[in-house]
Amino acid sequence: MKTGLLFVDELRGFYKSKVMIFLWVGLPVIALMFRFISASSSGQSIPFTVISALVVSSIGGTLASVMLAVFIINEKNRRVYDLFLIRPLKRRDILLAKFFSVYTCVAVASFIAVLTGIVIDYSTTGALSTAILTDAGQSLAISLSMIAVACSAGVLIGVASPTVLVGAILVIYGGNQISVIPLVPTLLNLPYASIFTIVLATTVAVGLLVAAITIFNRKQF
Amino acid sequence: MTSNSSNDNEFVTIRNLEKKFGGFYALNDVSFTIKEGEIFGYIGPNGAGKTTTMKILVGLITDFQGAVSIGDFQVPKRKDEIHKLLGYLPQSVAFQEWRTVNQTLTTFGRLSGLSDTKVEERIPEILSLLGLADARNKKVSHLSGGMIQKVGLAQALLHEPKFLVLDEPLGGLDPLSRYQFKDIVLKLAKKGTTVLFSSHILSDVQDVADRIGIISHGKIKQVGTLNELKISLVSQKMVQVLLSFASDKWQEFGAIRNVIGVEQPSPGRILVRLKAGSDEDQAVNDIVQNVVKLGIRVRGVSVIEPSLDEIYFNYVSEAENR
Repeated sequence: MKTGLLFVDELRGFYKSKVMIFLWVGLPVIALMFRFISASSSGQSIPFTVISALVVSSIGGTLASVMLAVFIINEKNRRVYDLFLIRPLKRRDILLAKFFSVYTCVAVASFIAVLTGIVIDYSTTGALSTAILTDAGQSLAISLSMIAVACSAGVLIGVASPTVLVGAILVIYGGNQISVIPLVPTLLNLPYASIFTIVLATTVAVGLLVAAITIFNRKQF
Repeated sequence: MTSNSSNDNEFVTIRNLEKKFGGFYALNDVSFTIKEGEIFGYIGPNGAGKTTTMKILVGLITDFQGAVSIGDFQVPKRKDEIHKLLGYLPQSVAFQEWRTVNQTLTTFGRLSGLSDTKVEERIPEILSLLGLADARNKKVSHLSGGMIQKVGLAQALLHEPKFLVLDEPLGGLDPLSRYQFKDIVLKLAKKGTTVLFSSHILSDVQDVADRIGIISHGKIKQVGTLNELKISLVSQKMVQVLLSFASDKWQEFGAIRNVIGVEQPSPGRILVRLKAGSDEDQAVNDIVQNVVKLGIRVRGVSVIEPSLDEIYFNYVSEAENR
């Protein structure tokens, strides 16, 4: 299994890319801005931890999926994969390595953003309630689930789209719609919504990845 | 037509290969073999089917008709085994731009099954062989076209493959690099590496290839050593007429008795192909009389042995005219 080797490799490429630098630094900054805007407009502030999780899932998921789709389309069209595909590895290794490396980077960015939220909430209120921490945990679970679905949609669209433009449009409109699927258990107020969210997101993400791998396996380069 | 050598040490076998893109035949009943340790030059005009053949061999195109095998392994069924034997340089080589040359080669070396120690050992070796030692830590995106081509060659040679497939490997290389490349290929073949390479630069093919395959419009026109190809054409015989001034009147030579074709491979140089078995002295005499009649000024008329260029022109133009 060469996925591990490619995963570490791709991680090296992604973590210092401009988009990832935006995620590492930009997300906490944007969350901070949201917090001050909400505090000054309504007079009472939403816990920063929750804001951070919301920002991460909406902006981070979109960016991650666009990044994945654009990278894959670009590399596919520039024929970068030819030199990988003539080596003893499975085609799926390439896609899985890309998915997991971007997902890992965005997941770490999410943790950083939520952790920043917790630190700021603690420093402003002097204490952290269990409710805030539970909310933060749930928000993080939802965020990571949505990002997983967005990333897998990015991979599928990347494999199937002929051009970067088509891919970007499909990801921004289609990928974003799909990535809200994990919110359904929460919207329906189901018991154990977080667990349902994770199970649902995993199922959808696996389904999308299997579709992407099937198309990629059939592709004639 | 095809004169395939049947030898017991055939390493690559292609039989009745067909590939269609929509209704268009990219390859039509292509058959040839490559012997172990042989350098096989694959030439043909743009769109003739060279790259498609190579992509089928390396497993990038898996949807085709016919039988293809490398060593004891059937393509594409035994892809995993074949990929361990293979080094490939595509026509337009591209890498992930965030990588350095070292990272690129390390990844490809590891994916090809080399150990970390072996990769560390091979990278400086191969980079100095190709004159790229100083570029080891440079980002691929900062390299010139020729240097990228060399990195492409480096990744193909890194794991010391038994079979090298090189698609237009000399494109973008300066004359010195081309010379070095040909030298490397010749040395590899001496060590037993089988090489298939395509090129538009016929003199380069002539310099290194043990045997040559000419493909046009998806069909193999001829396969053989340079001498075999010459003999196949010598039976037809050729007269070269060098004009003092460019003139279109040379086309009239086509009407001369026993002439089966006239071409102008370069301005002022006319090649007149004669019917097999015809008397070349008589033909030269007829051509000279025609030259006088047409009022063309000529620098010389001689019977010639065909070069690879002429052989190529002969088979390719034959296919064009059909």
